[in-house]
Amino acid sequence: MADMRAAAVATSMVLALWLVSFTQPGFAQQPDSSLSADALKKLSIEQLMNLQVTSVSKRPERLSQTASAIQVITQEDIRRAGASSLAEALRLASNLQVAQVDARQWAISARGFNSTTANKLLVLIDGRTVYTPLFSGVFWDVQEVPLADIDRIEVISGPGATLWGSNAVNGVINVITKGVKDTQGLLLTGGGGNEQRGFGTVRYGGALGSTVRAKIYGRGFGRDASALPGGAESSDDWHLWQGGFRMDWDAATANKVTLQGDLYDGRIGQASPAADIAVSGGNVMAKWSHTISETSSLAAQLYYDRTHRNIPGTFGEDLDTYDVDLQHATRLGARHDLVWGLGYRLINDRVANSAALAFLPAHVARQWFTGFVQDEIALVPNRLHLALGTKIEHNDYVGFEIQPSGRVNWRLSPSGTLWAAISRALRSPSRIDRELFAPGQPPYFLAGGPGFHSEEELAYELGFRHQRGPLALSLATFYSRYHGLRSLEQANPPAATPMVIGNGQDGESYGAELATDYRVTDRWRLRAGYTELRVHIWPNPGSTDQSRGASESHTPDRQFFLQSSVDLPADLRFDVGLRAIDDITNQQVPGYGELNAKLSWQPMPALDLSLVGQNLLHRRHVEFGAPGAARREIERGVYGAVAWRF
Amino acid sequence: MALLRVTAALLLVCAARLGAQGARASEAQVKAVFLFNFAQFVDWPPEAVPDSQAPLVIGILGDDPFGDFLDATVRGEHRGARPFAVRRFQRVEDITRCDILFIGRPLADRPEEILARLKNRPILTVSDADQFAERGGMIHFVTDRSRIRLQINPEPADAAHLTISSKLLRVAEVITPSGR
Repeated sequence: MADMRAAAVATSMVLALWLVSFTQPGFAQQPDSSLSADALKKLSIEQLMNLQVTSVSKRPERLSQTASAIQVITQEDIRRAGASSLAEALRLASNLQVAQVDARQWAISARGFNSTTANKLLVLIDGRTVYTPLFSGVFWDVQEVPLADIDRIEVISGPGATLWGSNAVNGVINVITKGVKDTQGLLLTGGGGNEQRGFGTVRYGGALGSTVRAKIYGRGFGRDASALPGGAESSDDWHLWQGGFRMDWDAATANKVTLQGDLYDGRIGQASPAADIAVSGGNVMAKWSHTISETSSLAAQLYYDRTHRNIPGTFGEDLDTYDVDLQHATRLGARHDLVWGLGYRLINDRVANSAALAFLPAHVARQWFTGFVQDEIALVPNRLHLALGTKIEHNDYVGFEIQPSGRVNWRLSPSGTLWAAISRALRSPSRIDRELFAPGQPPYFLAGGPGFHSEEELAYELGFRHQRGPLALSLATFYSRYHGLRSLEQANPPAATPMVIGNGQDGESYGAELATDYRVTDRWRLRAGYTELRVHIWPNPGSTDQSRGASESHTPDRQFFLQSSVDLPADLRFDVGLRAIDDITNQQVPGYGELNAKLSWQPMPALDLSLVGQNLLHRRHVEFGAPGAARREIERGVYGAVAWRF
Repeated sequence: MALLRVTAALLLVCAARLGAQGARASEAQVKAVFLFNFAQFVDWPPEAVPDSQAPLVIGILGDDPFGDFLDATVRGEHRGARPFAVRRFQRVEDITRCDILFIGRPLADRPEEILARLKNRPILTVSDADQFAERGGMIHFVTDRSRIRLQINPEPADAAHLTISSKLLRVAEVITPSGR
């Protein structure tokens, strides 16, 4: 309770801060551009060249992104927050619901519908979909992108299906890694602590001729187990090894080619007598972009991804994914920017079934054909833009589906933009919806979902974005209607079993996401985010599911986040990240507040020493999971790290 | 309550430490002021100046990273009798009168075609695109360890009959791709 109260105080402080910035003209004018312009104009060229500059985070270029609830996590944000995994870095986007379930599992979603098998969020790493067709979600434990290699993470809450595709029902996470030219030289990092047991990365980038650059990396880490409800150590401690490469070739003038790949292998403990979980896999991807003319460009990518996961006693899976995408952007006349693309994906999924559950058939091959087209129309150039588009997809479960959207972006002033969007997005069936049986042999308690079809969303969004001087602010509001949400139906009522998976529920969600970034002084930056969210799910007439969505969405009503980054004298930097999360009612997870802190010292440009505290406020706390002996608690952690660049 | 105390302590520490720090500005702001300053260090051929009071046009091609800052920088300023003006262009074909051109993204990622179309026109081309000067641009903003350096390629400037002052060349890194 004290935490929630403290969070409320902190919230009101921040809200007051930015409200003041609007109501008191003096406050907003103080860092006004014209003032600084005069000061800067007095400087000589030499003085200008000696001035330290701060770069604004890269802003998205396409209207489909600017007219959406996008938040960008930069490399600097990740580094300064002391995040130790991709999932943890995603806590920096306040429009995501991020909960750590145990030592390796995370529940991550946008706009509700969170669970360990959350299925309405699309995650891409350099354009590669990291998605399991098993449940349309992400195994976060094997998405261990080296954090130092990330350029930025674009987090879009709300539907992105038109451009990105199915699964982008409630959000898209787009992880973009640095090009090789930004990772030249040798980087050594290492460290350890009580929860982050030990970790190390070696990366080397160099030039192979005048137009080709390449890098390789290797990393490994061990993480401590989470705690059981009584505080005893559970057995999910784990380790992972990963290595990879990337080669960028700036061929000729108009062609860029990238070749990249990763390999990983890890082991995760299970409670005895079960043997360890084994995970391994890899991917290789080729990308080509070609500039046809100043107003026309072509991009193609091809990848192969393999994952292996064996959870002894539960199931095992071997998945091969082959994917090819083509995209063409061109300008038509003075007012139309057209983008269209085609894609094909083939998966080959082999499941090893257990006594507890079975995917039937165990081995499937499935194909997706996708196409999309979007036109960005400059109704009033640089002021009022409209984007209309649709995705057309064909999959083996339900045939053709269309996912259209319309977005409008209205630039009110150089600093303020109003946007609105209406979208239809679909969450197409995955193996878990159609092919999951339990137990592994008849008679079944759960007998698949032979009639399951896509879940449908209609989303209405309205947002405002403001950037002036040191203050950036974004507010997104939304209302979504859902039809045919997944339900558990009695196959032969009134007999309680068997049950089958159906589309017997409807729902709605609404809320607001506020994000601010305020450079208080040149050396102090505050980022704050606040999200209010409601999800309601109800059974349709005829449905026998009375859960009211208790298995589909585990979502706090509100969350607050504040990150303070301070540059201290003597090359010291101090960062504090606070988060306050409301309770998850249908899991009886209490609300909590937690604090991360990082102190780093850069005695010379090549060397960085840091001390990081994670979840400092409590010895342990719960973030996610149904109550009971199996629910895991996340412990306070401290680690030290060294980074050395040559 | 621990949370509140920590937050309060943090705010106090920050407030005490950061009373008045300076000497930093946003990258886009500094580049905007550079663009304005370039006008003082470059001489255009007479045929490029329609009359002595014609505005000196700073153009932005493609995405505008400056917001209203460039406009604020040049507001009320003159070079001789010539007032400054800022114009934004979406395409190369749209460029009519222009003296200094900043090429923004995404067009700047592949500058060769744009530069080919501007070839020998008396326009000072500036960009922060990779290796802009080496690829035939005139002035490249290089951001290096939080500072902006200039790389200048005098060859295309010579070809366009622009005279870049030695004062500017002295503080810049001069690039000569053809090795002359």
